[in-house]
Amino acid sequence: PFLQSTGLVGLAVSENPHERLRILYTKILGVLQNIPKDAAYRKYTEQIVNERFSLVQNETDVQKLQDKLNSGQIEEVIVQAENELSLARKMIQWKPWEPLVEEPPADQWRWPI
Amino acid sequence: TVRPKNEVEQKQLCAFGEYVAEILPKYIQQVQVTCFNELELLIHPDGIIPVLTFLRDHTNAQFKSLADLTAVDVPSRQYRFEIVYNLLSLRFNSRIRVKTYTDELTPLDSAVSVHKAANWYEREVWDMYGVFFANHPDLRRILTDYGFEGHPFRKDFPLSGYVEV
Repeated sequence: PFLQSTGLVGLAVSENPHERLRILYTKILGVLQNIPKDAAYRKYTEQIVNERFSLVQNETDVQKLQDKLNSGQIEEVIVQAENELSLARKMIQWKPWEPLVEEPPADQWRWPI
Repeated sequence: TVRPKNEVEQKQLCAFGEYVAEILPKYIQQVQVTCFNELELLIHPDGIIPVLTFLRDHTNAQFKSLADLTAVDVPSRQYRFEIVYNLLSLRFNSRIRVKTYTDELTPLDSAVSVHKAANWYEREVWDMYGVFFANHPDLRRILTDYGFEGHPFRKDFPLSGYVEV
């Protein structure tokens, strides 16, 4: 995207995407601190976010950054980071790293019956 | 002719299934991959919204599209209805199936807050099977006639119905 449009309906071109991504990734990492350290979600999400964060900081050219991230347009990457942030906030309430809530009845998932 | 087995895709799906099961152990009861390379997650009914939001929002699993929402009636089980969600990821070009269970009287959480597409599908499941969805914006009959009583797709509903036409 430069000067014209992203090519996607409803997504405007963002000027200084690096700044926006930097803010979003720091916010995500801050939210992740509230999850217990041994939760798998925290481990994997921190890995993804740190990887993308380092790529964003080292690469100033937008086109090359898009190729390196290999995840569609930069605006899509920004939308994905916003989604990840809202997911992290919801995960704090749901706490999915605890053990299983309830075992199913023994024949529930047996197929054929 | 027999479809050739795609071992690579099978391994990738197994690995992804284990990844999701590691992140959400609170709700996922079982994970299975069929021989046709279809990944299925078997969920406790409390975990519908957390699991669907996770699959929609997480970077490694952007399943933004709800392709289908159906139910299966197995009358011999204690929880006779099995609700099935089929999701599609456009970024990674892969599909996943999420299954939950309920009986006739327990309400389920509506998926409309996660996927707007679930609106009419849940109306259809309510109309045809009688599975009530809590927090649905507009749960009413969609396919049966206006004064129709009964839930047609249940296994104990006769083929030609109760009312003479």
